[in-house]
Amino acid sequence: MKYRITHRTNYNSHESVSIGHNQAWLELRSVNWQLVDSFNLSIDPEPSIRTRRIDSFRNPVHLFSFNEGYQQLTVTATSVVTVSDIPQPDAQLRVPWEQVAGGVKNHATAEDRDAAEFEFASPRIFWSADKRKYAIESFQIGRSVRDALLDLTRRIHTEFAYDSRATTVNTPVDEVFRLRRGVCQDFAHLQIAMLRSLGIPARYVSGYLRSVPTEGQPRLVGADATHAWLSAYCGNGVWLDVDPTNNTICSTDHITLAWGRDYSDVPPLTGVFIGGGQHRLIVNVDVLPLA
Amino acid sequence: MATGLSSSTKTERVFSCPSFVYDEVYGSDSLPRGHWARFLTALRSVPAGEFSRRNEQADRMLRENGVSYHSVGKGGDTARPWRLDLLPMLITAADWAVIAAALAQRARLLNLVIADIYGSRSLIDDGTLPPEVLYANPEFLRPFCDIGRLDQHPMFMYGVELARSAEGQWWVMADRSEAPAGPGFALENRIVSSRTMPAAFKQIPVQRLAPFFARLQNAVRRRAPRPGDNPRIVLLSSGPGHPYYFEDVYLARYLGYTMVEGGDLAVRNDAVFLKTLSGLVPVDIVLTRGAESGLDPLELGGYSGHGVPGMLNAMRSGNVTVTNTPGCGIVGAPVFMAFLPRLCQRLLGEPLKMPSISTWWCGEADSLAYVMDRLDHLVVKPAFQKSGGEEMVVSDLTSEQREKLVSHLQANPYSWVAQEKVARSAVPVWSASGIRCGHAAVRAFLVEDEDEWHLMPGGLIRVAADTGPMQLSIAAGEGSKDLWVIADGKVDPVTLLNPQDQPIELRRTSALFPSRVADNLFWLGRSLDCCDFLARLIRALAERLADEGNVDMTEVRFLARALSEFGQLEPGFVVDGLESQLPSLTEALPDAVYDAGEFGGLARVVNELTRLASLVRDWISPDTWHRINVTAEKFRTSSEKEWRDITDVVSSANSLVGDIASVSGLVFDGMNRGPSWRFLELGRCIERASSTARLLLSAEWKRGSSSPILLKTIIEVLDVRMTYRFRYRENFHRNAVLDLTITDETNPRSLAFQLDRVVSHVDRLPGFEARPLRSDEMRIVMQAAHAVRMLTSEDLAASHPKAVTTALKTVEDSMTHLSDVLTRKYLVHSGVPRQFTEFSGGAP
Repeated sequence: MKYRITHRTNYNSHESVSIGHNQAWLELRSVNWQLVDSFNLSIDPEPSIRTRRIDSFRNPVHLFSFNEGYQQLTVTATSVVTVSDIPQPDAQLRVPWEQVAGGVKNHATAEDRDAAEFEFASPRIFWSADKRKYAIESFQIGRSVRDALLDLTRRIHTEFAYDSRATTVNTPVDEVFRLRRGVCQDFAHLQIAMLRSLGIPARYVSGYLRSVPTEGQPRLVGADATHAWLSAYCGNGVWLDVDPTNNTICSTDHITLAWGRDYSDVPPLTGVFIGGGQHRLIVNVDVLPLA
Repeated sequence: MATGLSSSTKTERVFSCPSFVYDEVYGSDSLPRGHWARFLTALRSVPAGEFSRRNEQADRMLRENGVSYHSVGKGGDTARPWRLDLLPMLITAADWAVIAAALAQRARLLNLVIADIYGSRSLIDDGTLPPEVLYANPEFLRPFCDIGRLDQHPMFMYGVELARSAEGQWWVMADRSEAPAGPGFALENRIVSSRTMPAAFKQIPVQRLAPFFARLQNAVRRRAPRPGDNPRIVLLSSGPGHPYYFEDVYLARYLGYTMVEGGDLAVRNDAVFLKTLSGLVPVDIVLTRGAESGLDPLELGGYSGHGVPGMLNAMRSGNVTVTNTPGCGIVGAPVFMAFLPRLCQRLLGEPLKMPSISTWWCGEADSLAYVMDRLDHLVVKPAFQKSGGEEMVVSDLTSEQREKLVSHLQANPYSWVAQEKVARSAVPVWSASGIRCGHAAVRAFLVEDEDEWHLMPGGLIRVAADTGPMQLSIAAGEGSKDLWVIADGKVDPVTLLNPQDQPIELRRTSALFPSRVADNLFWLGRSLDCCDFLARLIRALAERLADEGNVDMTEVRFLARALSEFGQLEPGFVVDGLESQLPSLTEALPDAVYDAGEFGGLARVVNELTRLASLVRDWISPDTWHRINVTAEKFRTSSEKEWRDITDVVSSANSLVGDIASVSGLVFDGMNRGPSWRFLELGRCIERASSTARLLLSAEWKRGSSSPILLKTIIEVLDVRMTYRFRYRENFHRNAVLDLTITDETNPRSLAFQLDRVVSHVDRLPGFEARPLRSDEMRIVMQAAHAVRMLTSEDLAASHPKAVTTALKTVEDSMTHLSDVLTRKYLVHSGVPRQFTEFSGGAP
């Protein structure tokens, strides 16, 4: 699948922002199932300085700062990308899940040691006995890592309600678990917490979702937003991306932006500024299939 | 031992200690160790009373220098005085050299570990370090992975906590790799003890500390991002809320660096600048003293006093050096102690020279089993907390606490370490009742310069009364001591004051003057004058109330009303029928004056004075700071008396007036006529003009003829009694009083005089020399000056002096307005930084 993705963030403030420093995880990372054909980041007004670096998870990050004041800021990321099916080596996915967890615990291979980076608590993800208890029902001893993972994904999808008013960007995972509702970011965090509590490394993936138009309706441009899901470690260097919000294994409908331990490692746009008074942030994402 | 030491014979021990610890003074043969012999001889030559007196003198000197640390406990955050026991701990130069070699090796090793952790992570790949040590560690901060300098010496300043076990073996108790606290306290201890130790000790060849600090300066300078420059260096402090703020101020002054807080710095185009009154000045080197995790709110989140958004990327761009390099902190966590022998073999190919206290990381199954087995003999602490954090002596826990700990250990074993207990060696400790035994913790400091590690020939000793585990904070324990490294030969004096022989470039200004400092100096000036004025007003009322049976109600009413207008008294006292209220006023005045809780009380103003002075300590002379501190201390001492009455108020107010005058004298005589003096003076003049105008307004001239008694009170409070008497004797007339206090330009206490000074200060504020027309602030102050100058002698003599009242009102309003304008224009450079972040997850 080939897409053109336009991700526009509008930042309007009541008074002039005097100084601002920003970081953006808006450039798609290249992975072996995803080829970035072109990328452009346009920033209006033009920042005083901008740089790009690769973070420690190997995502590209853009940093830009303003010395002059502004009242309105528009950041537009435009990408053209070709996504193929994420490879799913069946043999590895049939391995019993406890064998995967055991390998990581014993640091058996170089891949297991690398995966350990996503095995522990992170700034936004902690777990507790009750979440582990919830998860373990899907993880009977001997069950394949794939089946156990998909069962947990399905349960979160059915037992948790999608509700964009229930949570905010800062709602803790515990609260999501208690409310049984949230949005994609919350579900991803929750499932990651559950997997890590069982010793299975899991990483947070920020990205886009192709929106499939309702039959007979024209495709709604700009109605889309950024999306989030997770990637679970299945041993031997194999990761499987699952989307609890849509109860699905990710494939060519999911476009990967960046990954980290949780949301705090890869927010699309974040900044520190002085001044500005009241402000409003409007995000528009358009995922246009090209072929 | 309470009797004098001089009475003891040469063989008698000066102290004794339990047999299971190492005795620093006496060998197993009960004879003093070689390096102590000379010291003990000197000690015996000094009468015990004299030594006690010197100890008190040292304490007083520390208190008066404001040497303190903050401790957060119940009752909030309080500054606690630093305590020093004049009896030092002694060690031979030869022994110290062995320690130096071992610690230099350790520092080299830690640098390699830091570079690997934030670089290739090969230690994880080859299994030397288990992945948990980084990945379960909340102090492993990924933004530090690419900030540069890691291949060289990420850490250049290093502190180590040492203890000597019963066998005489030195052990490392903790590593301080982030921004080691203590070198400034060690230096201050040395300075105070060398000033107070009796002459008998001066013959002992003690190695000096100054060369170490010269090394430190050199090492900092060499870390400049561009070689060959004369780098601009700042010391970045977390501000007055930080426990060791005193040390930040002290080191900045001693090393000659500008002390800044996060808000004083700004990142522009990936370079770091200092916000000064005359604009942004580039900074090359930042010596950071706060936690590395708070350095850059953009990439690390959170706000701390030393945070500067964009700092990390400025480092990446190579435009600034921050030192110690952020990332060094991680190896200060106790978990690394469990791996150091292994790491030393792997990275240096040699054994570790000085052992760490035995440490087991519970993340390894064997270690966990061992720890569970011997739990009651061990100390358990969080594996990843840098400062040692909470520490549990398992044998001291209740069974409930112990159970909880065990469940933590089983749930997340990798988050915990267990350590052996060490009974620290014994040293003699001076106390009022004689010499007793204490147990010593040694903090040593190293600096890397030109690829070599240098150990400070001295250190900070902390003492505990018993041998139990001791908290690792430098503020813990019962007091501190100096550490004397006894040289083999004679010691050369070295000082930092004149490091080079060649003359330096002459200057008239110091370029780095942060706006925040100008703000604080401005308010310090205002507080100084406010304090003086209120003290006079309170003294006048208190004297009259104390003078029983001879009270004139006109002046009492006037003074009480004025005090209530200045927020010093409940307005209830001002209503009619004051006569009947006199006894309760006499009773209420001491509380109103002394209780800091009272709104706007004098005690508050005095507290504010010391607070502001502490914020600008490195901008006023040490004598000025000292004087302010003593002034406040004196006031507080009298306020803390259990029983206090109106005569105490008189005497407190009296000494306050005198003390403030001596502070003013120091400022006037000693302070350079630069921008710092200007802002201080500006604050003072504005405050004085404003309070003079307000006092005169509260006299209600329109009620007809003014009584001579009232006029006398006014000239007393405004401190113009002498001049008045010279000119007019006891002939009190309103027009003469108004002239002297308002329009007489030759009287330094008059409004006209003060306003002239404000005009001339405002005229010389930086950045406005080239303006064609007058600035806002200039027009405001000129309006006030003009109103005063336009008064005629008829205006002053009029029975309803409306013109005078209008002019006074103009002055009062203008001063308030001027203060606001100055604050906006010069002093508040930045608002509070805020954060925004885009939510992911609109899409289902």
